[in-house]
Amino acid sequence: MTVTKIVDDNIPSKLDLVPGFITAVLEKLQVLHLDEDEVFALKLCLYEALVNAIKHGNKEKSDQAVHVIVKTNKKKIILEVTDQGHGFDFTRIPNPTTEENIGKFHGRGVYLIQNSMDSVKFLNGGRTIQMVKVIK
Amino acid sequence: MEISLEKINDITLVSLNGELNLDNTHRVREAFKKILKQRKAKVLLDFDNVPFIDSSGIALLIEIVQAFGKSNGAMCLCHVNKKILSVFEITKVSKLFNIFDSHEEALRSF
Repeated sequence: MTVTKIVDDNIPSKLDLVPGFITAVLEKLQVLHLDEDEVFALKLCLYEALVNAIKHGNKEKSDQAVHVIVKTNKKKIILEVTDQGHGFDFTRIPNPTTEENIGKFHGRGVYLIQNSMDSVKFLNGGRTIQMVKVIK
Repeated sequence: MEISLEKINDITLVSLNGELNLDNTHRVREAFKKILKQRKAKVLLDFDNVPFIDSSGIALLIEIVQAFGKSNGAMCLCHVNKKILSVFEITKVSKLFNIFDSHEEALRSF
């Protein structure tokens, strides 16, 4: 089955650019006629992955970019977000829903992504997060 | 994000209009700083016109609920849409918030 690339773009590591970038990505996805739940899930995952890449991956260094690829084969959407940082140990992400973590202000992004997508993989030493959503 | 405030007896109704994401959490935080100067403040936060939240928005709500706890105040939420409720449930932060379907139910809870 043919895979079509819908987005292949770089965003500078500036948090204030994230909302506009995500709006532009979602506009490009309109051709797929996704339902509201699918759009909500993709938007949430783009926010979480981009903010993590900019804050924790690129440490908000404005000379570093985050590379975003969105592709589809009409049955599923694949999002890939890659930062230019040093990677991280993705096997040791704390569970934000435990009693000791539930009141913390941070640490929910990856958990939300894992619970909103059909599959999530960390590649490239943790510098790339690949998220797959099956289209209903 | 538009934020409107209305007094209902001793309760402040805070209505948000727009997405609660990293782009505007600072504006909501500023609005609540003023409310929290009051001891034992009571706030009903209306989510009727909030279509989306990210983890920055969740973090802000936790920060506000904890601040109300420290000042012996109280805050509850109403009209939270199903997708946002689902985000609260997935992350289990729904345990931290008092959430009601309607204004009436929420107001009775104070």
